[in-house]
Order: sequence, then structure tokens, then C-alpha cells
Amino acid sequence: MPESQVPAVVAASDAPNGRSSAQLRAVIAVSLIALALIAIAPYVLPMFMVNSLIRAFLYAAVALTVDILWGYTGILTFGQSAFFGIGAYATGLIFTHLGFSPQHALLAFGAAVVVAALVAAVVGWLSFYHGASPLYASVVTLVLPIVVAQILYSGGEFTGSSSGLSGFESFDISIETWFRIAGAFLVVLTALAWFFVRSDAGRVLVAIRENEARCEYLGINVSRVKILLMIACALIAAIAGYAFAGVQMVVAPEYAGFVFGTELIIWVALGGRGTLIGPVIGTLAIDVSTAYLSGNLPFVWKLIIGIAFVAVIVALPQGLMPPVASALRRLHRRASPQAPAFVPSLQAMTAEHFAGLSGSAQHAIEVRDVRKHFGSLKVLEGITFSARRGELLSLVGPNGAGKTTLIRCIADGGERSEGAILINDRDIARRPPYACVALGVGRKFQAANVFETLSVAEALRIARTRLQRPLFSARAPTLEVPNAVVKVLQATGLDQRLGIEVRHLSHGQKQALELAMVLALEPGVVLLDEPTAGLTRPERALIGQILTELAAQEGLCILLVEHDLDFVREISSRVIVLHQGQIVLDGTVAEVVGSELVRDIYAGGGSMRSAGARA
Amino acid sequence: MAQVLDIVTTAAILYVVAAGLLIIFGVMKIINFAHGGFITIGGYSALAVTQLGWTPWASFGFAFAVGCLCGMIIERLVVRPLYARPLDAILATWGLGIIIGQVITLAFGREVQFVQAPIRGAIDALGASYSQYRLLLVPAAIGLALVLTWVLNGTRLGLETRAVIMNENLARGLGINSGLVRFITFSLGSGLASLAGAFITPLSSVDPNMGVPWLVGAFMLVLVSGVSLLSLAIACVVLGGAQVLVSTYGNPILGGLTIVVLAALILRLRPAGFARE
Repeated sequence: MPESQVPAVVAASDAPNGRSSAQLRAVIAVSLIALALIAIAPYVLPMFMVNSLIRAFLYAAVALTVDILWGYTGILTFGQSAFFGIGAYATGLIFTHLGFSPQHALLAFGAAVVVAALVAAVVGWLSFYHGASPLYASVVTLVLPIVVAQILYSGGEFTGSSSGLSGFESFDISIETWFRIAGAFLVVLTALAWFFVRSDAGRVLVAIRENEARCEYLGINVSRVKILLMIACALIAAIAGYAFAGVQMVVAPEYAGFVFGTELIIWVALGGRGTLIGPVIGTLAIDVSTAYLSGNLPFVWKLIIGIAFVAVIVALPQGLMPPVASALRRLHRRASPQAPAFVPSLQAMTAEHFAGLSGSAQHAIEVRDVRKHFGSLKVLEGITFSARRGELLSLVGPNGAGKTTLIRCIADGGERSEGAILINDRDIARRPPYACVALGVGRKFQAANVFETLSVAEALRIARTRLQRPLFSARAPTLEVPNAVVKVLQATGLDQRLGIEVRHLSHGQKQALELAMVLALEPGVVLLDEPTAGLTRPERALIGQILTELAAQEGLCILLVEHDLDFVREISSRVIVLHQGQIVLDGTVAEVVGSELVRDIYAGGGSMRSAGARA
Repeated sequence: MAQVLDIVTTAAILYVVAAGLLIIFGVMKIINFAHGGFITIGGYSALAVTQLGWTPWASFGFAFAVGCLCGMIIERLVVRPLYARPLDAILATWGLGIIIGQVITLAFGREVQFVQAPIRGAIDALGASYSQYRLLLVPAAIGLALVLTWVLNGTRLGLETRAVIMNENLARGLGINSGLVRFITFSLGSGLASLAGAFITPLSSVDPNMGVPWLVGAFMLVLVSGVSLLSLAIACVVLGGAQVLVSTYGNPILGGLTIVVLAALILRLRPAGFARE
């Protein structure tokens, strides 16, 4: 095995650290200005305005969580109001029934966060599981506030039913101080969220929004990430609700209800989903104007909001923030145009073995009597074979032979109907895809399956998430990947395009990027479904060369679905022929090429050549 | 015995309320959150009929016509640009529901008002005295189901609609004007929602937000039914029945939650719900 090549440091941007610290300074400066404004505002603003703004600050904190869940992660949630209501009622109930004291204030805080976290965990467990549709999560978040509000309605004297609780004793804090507390809470939260969504961990959320299946097959437990995010967002909403009840000294079921949940979405949508600042400004502007205008034009104002909401969703789905921001930028056309995207420097790892390889394992893949049927339709029947490290095994057969189904069964324990599959001698049982990745499986899909709006470097970072814990506060300055990944990137020119968004890449480069992402998982078994489909001849030769090197030098076991017999002949160490869901031949390239049987199969279903042309 | 009648009539009401939403979801894969708004439109159409002094029987046809007309306008202006963005369509149609509610408030006032029922009083049914109007809703729901089944299975439009449901791209390739099918579907679904509003108002009253509670129940029923009119009927009987039983033996507030909670759990355990997989 050759020593890994010089740690390739390529395409680093001019000064990644300098740039991010400039951003850091800018955010801190803006936050400090905002805090200073908040500190002096109560002296200047009329009392009614101060009161309205306290409420708006707390609502904006909840809107921020809606933006993180919906704008960044793609979970359309109607349920953040429920957590706000839980926080508010924890305060209202304890202060009403036990009275106010510093201990009770702490108790209320504890109750607010514990109940909110438990409810969020249950909601998350219900909503997010392998194979859940995004609509289902929205349904559950819609049911949640309805249930919470109904429980509050049915609470009789204890919860105050429809009139809620009011007039309880609360913190002995002046309105001006509350204003500063709520304002500081919002500013700090917004700044932290700003850093979080731009960190490596925040990019994982965007990757989930963009392509959840690819994340699963990169070994990320998407359901777990979403549940944890749900809990974190629930805690923030509950704390906002706690403060709300503390300052307003009134709680009512409406604050936990479905209509408030949809209002939060309206504010976020109008301000601009996925921008953080937009939802905050949107919430402050709309809530304060509502406070002023709903007296004079009660129904007309709500009508205007409704019309604006529909118009924005239809015509400006990204909300008002992006057009406003780009207009401002045009006004302030600076000497330097927009700063280039942040690009980490690429480093080859020096580790000797892939994490997914187990030297002691007898077989890399072992497939025992695997069957797959859809109702009475049998797609795979009694598939049995095994492969060792270093083998490059091609799976050929006419369309509909079951090749892709077999790949799917190896990468997802939930797919097969019967039989057993072992990876590195360990049974995959019914493990979901991310857990199969942990056993050493890497799967490349048939059509390039990547993250269109992420940069090349970000996509590779997502692929490394399982093995290298991402930073929560910043972008890591270096991107460490296995040597094989560097080779793929260099061979296809991707190492020079690390900062480019994936959607701007050519088809061949997307295929190469997906292969690089799969290899970045350090798999022991690589499943490739037509890796060369749609590639040019030189690109194909290059991929073939890389694959044979990986098998020979790194000891990977590669299972390849391929239609192009020439390609198969050049690179395979062994060929399995599938026909109508069964293995009809398992042998060397020479055996398969010389086989009468194989010729008959293909004569029946068109020649290998024409099958290859279909891709 | 009265309980059996409660279950049957509740299922009938739910069926009438959810049918329009199901048709739109089935064909357009869009959840029409303005459904509640259209129910409200139907309720106020019935109120208008009462105020004009027409016979209460006219309210059904009138409500259906008004709903269809509003549906046509809305499909053109709002829904059409959102075909490719189903989650956004939920939000935009929810916004429409707000607009409808506010326009009605401005036109009719926000107070609760009452509508004259076409028939009043109780009759003896299965040994119990029972509201005639509620019983009338059972044949109405069955009639509606038969008409919809006939339209889907017995007409050219129905054939094209089913083709769009199964494979819109293929249908378009075969020369079916799927845009027109969607247009007709949305206005028909809106008309049905409005008709449902006219059906339910004599049971209670009208107010500008009357549709919202029905919207959520109908939405959950449609989700557990897939796109089949038959499984919608099953869902209405099972979940409506559960609602009646919980309200009687538990309490009415829990009863009000029965449909949403049960439907959410059913979908978790069996994503296809009552539909065949």
C-alpha cells in the first residue's frame, strides 16, 4: 500500500479565518448596537409601545424557532404555540395556585422546560421516523396545539378554562427592566442562531431539508437530529412563554392554540423564511402595528395581513427579506463585490484503514437466501452469495432482473422480505440505512443524488458528519477526508471547485462528487448503482481506474451494477448474472463472457449493448 | 338506540364536510386549507337565503353555486402557481381562509346568527324521538356519495380525472388537459365545501370562523382515507363513531379531540390509513 500522497492543500480561500472573524466582529457589533438601543428605548418610547414591544420580542423568539425548524430544516410546524403556551401556563398555574416567591419562580421555570422537553420528545418521536412523510410531521404539529388548548379549556377552575388565568402575583420588576430583559433575550438568541445556522452543524439541517434520503445514506440519524432540534426549539418557545406570563400576568388558551401557531408561520413567511433576521423583523413590525391598528381598523387590518401573506407565498416565497437585502446591497455598492463563499482547505488523512473495514471479518458481504416480494410479485428469490475484501464484483442482468432491488436490500435492513445479510460478518437485521452505514455500507444511487444548494466542500463535510462531530459555532477551517476522496476530486477537477454550489456542476462531476461523498464515509463495502451512467468515455475510464485501485490498494469490497459489458470486463474481478430475480451465474469475467446462458438471456431481453444505452 | 342514530348522522355530517377536501387532495395533491373558509361561505349563503326570504331548500343549490364560483376565481389567482409547492399551497390556502373570514365579517358582522332549517321537529325513529333534519343528512350524504361515484366512474370527466390522479404526466401526454381537470376539480371541491356549510348551519349557527373547527377534522379524515370515497365513508363511520362514544361516556371535550388524535395515531401505525395500500 503506497503512503498517502502529500497532504493536498488546495483551493483554500484567501483567508478563511480572517473572513469569519470579520463576520464575527460584524455580528457582535450589530448585537451591541441593538442592545444599546434596547437599553435606552424605554426612556424615549411611549409606555404603550414599550408594552407592545415586550410582547413582540417574546413572540419573535418563538418565530425564530419556527424559522429554524421550517426555514432551515424544512419541517413545517404549526405547533410552536403549544410550547409557548406550556411555558406560560407553567408560570400562571404555579403563581396562581402556590403564590409567587423566588422558589416558585424557579419551580415554574423548571416545570416549563421539563414539560416542554417531554412533550417535544413525544411529538418528535411520533413525527420523525424512517420513512415518515414531511406532511405527517406537519399533521402532528397541527394536532398538538389543538390538544393542548382543549386540555386547557377542559381544566375548569384549575386552568381557568376559556378565560384563562389572570391577576396572579408575579416578579416585582419594572416594565422598563422587562423590556431590557426580553430585548436582550431576543438579541442574544438571534446572534446565537445566526452562528449556529452558519456552522457545520447548521449546514446539516439544510442538507436534511435538501435531501433527507441522502443524509440517511450518509449515516446521519435524521430522525434523531430532528427530534433533538424539536426539543431545543420547544425549550426556547417555553422560556419565551414563561417570561410572557411573568410580565403580562395573564395566560389564556389562545396562546397555546393552533391559530397562534399559524400566525407565527405568517410572520416568518412575510419576513423571509431561512433568514433569521427576516422573521424577527416581520414579527416585531406586524405585532406592534397590530397593537396600534387593530383598534381603528379591526377587521380590515387582519384582512390586509391575510392578503399580504397569500401574495408573498404565491409571488415571493422567500419572503420580503431577500429582495430588501439585495436592494440595500445595491444602494451600498461597496468597493469589493460580494465576498467569496467560505472554502475550507482540503486535507488527505493519513489513516491506514477505512473505518468501515474490518480486517478480521471473513466476508465483507454475505447474502443468505434473500427474497423480496411485493404482494405476489417476486422480485428476488433465494439470492445467496458472499464477497471478500478487495473484490470488485459486478452485478449484471437485463432490466427488471432485480439488481437495484438487491442493492437496496443490502443498504437498508427494512427492505428485504426474507433472508439475512451480513456486512463484515455482522447481521444488518432490520437496521435503517444510517445504521447500515455504521456497519460499513456506502451506497451511491443510480441518478446523481447530491445536495443541490450546498457547495462541494459542504457536501463533503456532511458526508464526514458521522465520523467527525461537526462544529456548532463555526466552520472548521480544514476538511479532512480519506486519500481516496482526494484522488477522486483531483481526477475530476472538483478539488478546484470546492466553493461552487453543487447545482452548477456538470452531470459527470455530480456523479463523481457523490462517489467522493460515499468514499468519505470510509465504507468497507461500496454499493454503486450504474456509477458511469451518462458519463463520457474518458470520465468512465477514470472512474474505472479509481475503482480498481480502491479495491486493490485500500481493500474495499465494491459491488457494482452495470449495463456496459466492456466496462464490466475491464474492471471486475468477478461477475454475478441476475435474471428474473435469481442468480443464474456467478464466476469470473471470462466465464460469464463465454457463457451460452448469458447470451440467451440477453438475446431474449435485447443485447447488452442496447440495454446499456438505456442507462 | 339514539346512540346508533347519533353515530350514523355524525358520520353523514363528517362525510359531507370532508368530501370536497378529499376530491381536491386526490386530484391535485394539495390540501385546501381554505376549506374552512368555503364552509363558512356556504353557511352565509344559507343565511342570505333566509334573509332574502327564499325557501330554505334553495340554500343548498345557492351555496353550491357560490362556492363553485369562488373556487374558480381562487384557483386561477392563487392555487395555480402553487401546484409544484404543496406545502406552500397549504399556507396560501390558509391565508385565503383568513381573507374569506374577514370579508364575511365586514359584510355580515361578527356576531352569531341563525339560519332557518328546511324541516324542523322530531320524528320517531328506531323507537326514539330524533331530529328530522339530522336524519335528512343521512340520505343526503349517501346521495352525494352516489353522485360523486357516478361522476368519477361513469363520465368522461371522471375518467380523465382518474387518469390525472394515477399519473398526471402520462395523462397530459395522452392529450388530457390536466389544467382544466384541476380547475374543474378545485371549483367542484369548493362548491362541495360550501354545500356542506349550508347543510350544517341549521344544526347550529353561523359565525365568521365557523369553518375552522370543521377544517381540522375534515383534514384528518382525508389523510386517513387516502383518495378513495369508500375509505372516507369507512373513516367517517369509525372515527365519527368513536367521537360519539367518547363524548357520551367520557366527556365532550375529549370527544372533540377523538378524531384528530386517533387519526394521527392511525397514520403513525399505518401511513396508508383506511385506504388499501
